[in-house]
Amino acid sequence: MTIRVALGLALFCMACKGGAAPSIPPTVRSEAHVPAGGVAPAAGSLKNPFAGDRASADEGGRVFTSMNCDGCHGGGATGWVGPSLVDGRWRYGGSDGEIYLSIYSGRPRGMPAYGGILSGDPIWKIVTYLRAQPVPADVPTESWQGP
Amino acid sequence: MLWRFVAAVTLLLIGDRAAVSDGDWPMPGKDYAATRYSSLGQITTANANRLHLVWNFATGVLGGHEGQPLVVNHTMYVVTPYPNVLYAFDLTQDGYPLRWKYRPEVSPTALGTACCDAVNRGAAYADGKIVYNLLDGHTVAVDATSGKQLWRTRIADMAQGETTPMAPLIVKDRVLVGPSGGEFGIHGWVKALDLATGRIVWTAYNEGPDSDMIARPGTFSPFYDKGANLGVSSWPADAWQRAGVPVWGWLTYDPTLDLVYFGTGNASPYNPDQRPGDNKWSSSVLARRPGDGALVWAYQFTPHESWDFDSNAEMILVDLTVRGKPRKVLVHFDKNGFAYTIDRTTGEVLVAAPFTPLNWATRVDLTTGRPLVDSTKLTGASRGNVKNICPTLEGGKSPASPSSYSPRTGLFYVSTNNMCMDYEAVQATHIPGTPYIGATTPYHAGAGGYSGAFIAWDAAAGRRVWEIRERYPVWSGSVVTAGDVVFYGTLDGMFKAVDARSGKQLWQFKLGSGIVGSPISYLGPDGKQYVAICDGIGGDWFLLAGDVRSDDPADVRPPADFIPDIARRTSQGGTVWVFGLGTGP
Repeated sequence: MTIRVALGLALFCMACKGGAAPSIPPTVRSEAHVPAGGVAPAAGSLKNPFAGDRASADEGGRVFTSMNCDGCHGGGATGWVGPSLVDGRWRYGGSDGEIYLSIYSGRPRGMPAYGGILSGDPIWKIVTYLRAQPVPADVPTESWQGP
Repeated sequence: MLWRFVAAVTLLLIGDRAAVSDGDWPMPGKDYAATRYSSLGQITTANANRLHLVWNFATGVLGGHEGQPLVVNHTMYVVTPYPNVLYAFDLTQDGYPLRWKYRPEVSPTALGTACCDAVNRGAAYADGKIVYNLLDGHTVAVDATSGKQLWRTRIADMAQGETTPMAPLIVKDRVLVGPSGGEFGIHGWVKALDLATGRIVWTAYNEGPDSDMIARPGTFSPFYDKGANLGVSSWPADAWQRAGVPVWGWLTYDPTLDLVYFGTGNASPYNPDQRPGDNKWSSSVLARRPGDGALVWAYQFTPHESWDFDSNAEMILVDLTVRGKPRKVLVHFDKNGFAYTIDRTTGEVLVAAPFTPLNWATRVDLTTGRPLVDSTKLTGASRGNVKNICPTLEGGKSPASPSSYSPRTGLFYVSTNNMCMDYEAVQATHIPGTPYIGATTPYHAGAGGYSGAFIAWDAAAGRRVWEIRERYPVWSGSVVTAGDVVFYGTLDGMFKAVDARSGKQLWQFKLGSGIVGSPISYLGPDGKQYVAICDGIGGDWFLLAGDVRSDDPADVRPPADFIPDIARRTSQGGTVWVFGLGTGP
């Protein structure tokens, strides 16, 4: 078991050599942020090298499972203890770069930082997988009838 | 004559608990035996219909309010879910104002390491201190009078997936604590802290070599199992090091036998193909000496646990006549759906009977102590999606919902679930600090058109005496009183009083949120009997992750498919409620 984990991690590390590390960290540009003075802060941007690539999305789905992401976010990332990642709602920003940073650095309400064991390509493939999932129509009203 | 008999029994009971003022509620289970029995008898089956709300207070925290308030020296203590605020209410003044409020330092990281909501199961009082666990792996002691922090000890490691929502048990100068983390592949343990200083006195693991388990030859003598290092040999290779086997439920203590009893949780991961063997001592009851932690006996309810059947539910200590013989027993309602009556001196199973519908086993063989498992219900990645296993991994009873016992009726009062699940296991990878699960397990309601029931149980005979079927799983604890009134709550927020002998409903009151906490009863400074309960739905993933939440626009959930209309009747909350017959504060 330990050997299998080590092998898996080694494979990811080999894969991550091909990924670009960010030189200027981007910020979370959620619309919830109000820029003082109406001027958004300068920030670098992160480009997903696999954006829209079906094979990368499939591979990302396998990484999502093997890295235990489904243990919190549920199978298919539809939400379990952690929130759904396929409903189009994002607490920390929903651009590819923002999702990358959430995985790499973690988030304060319990999201572990995976940057120590994953970086570059495998994270981008997870991002690609999540972005490839269909987002259901948002129905804000829930209603009931009968007793 | 009958009256005189009852009075004598009552006196005997009071004598048994000489250290406890009977109007108080100083520890989670009321007494060391965790009977949750109140000898107060002002509220009766005749007048319970006149109960009314006398006071409430919003804790300011949303989420699962498990556990129970404490009442000591006319002060009520309430711990909230994360961030684990401790309130001390002055019951001697109008409106129960706060004496103080303690806000500990606690890491939000715990929110992602706790498997199933950020709950806390309550505090314990001893020697002028309120002691409880913070979710992020610390135990704190607070001066009960001033609210000042006396000590704070790190007991658990979140980097290994350990969190600490359980309620400590204080035995003499020892504070006994354990971790959650059966979903993270922890290496489960129990620790004893020195009550005066918080220093860790001993650590005993629930699995691994006998030396780590403090299982010494001549001292450790399980009734059914023989051999050394069973905590290693019943696992493949080094799997015991990431075994799970958490301690997130309740502990009890028998002062005469000087034994502490507690249940252990599931084996990790949920995919049992990765851990052939009995996996001792997961899903077990362990009996240890509080002084040095020595293991005296152990019994495994579910060998090679394959359904997330934790055994963290309470072990209630009572004396019963079983098959004509008086026995010192512990009574346990397991997630696996069987109720066990066990000789608490030796660990021999005397009675094991289903208390809720189950189909994973046919019965428990009392000569071997082992369940006779239906092989078609065994799970594992090699078995694909195994359908319709009853009960679910939430349990025939949630271990977080402690039962009560009345020496007057001789009955146990138990919140139960009637649900079944499919179980599709897959290979899981152990990465410390991340979930180590490997199963998808959707639920559906069990047969009969109800999802839960509140029942009365005869533990000597192993039979249900009465039941009240509920629309939803029943997730609260209960308290039973000398007035023969039992109190419990429902997931849609109904707080109910029923007749302990017949199960007839006497009274109900709709609270703001669903109830997963445990009621208590206490004597106010005015000499009147009160009942207190916290509401606040949550405490498990389906209770926190459904559409009952409204606090986060970035996290909107669809209804849970097996309780699709729960959000019609309740939403998240968190309030302490007090009821009584008089006018109140």
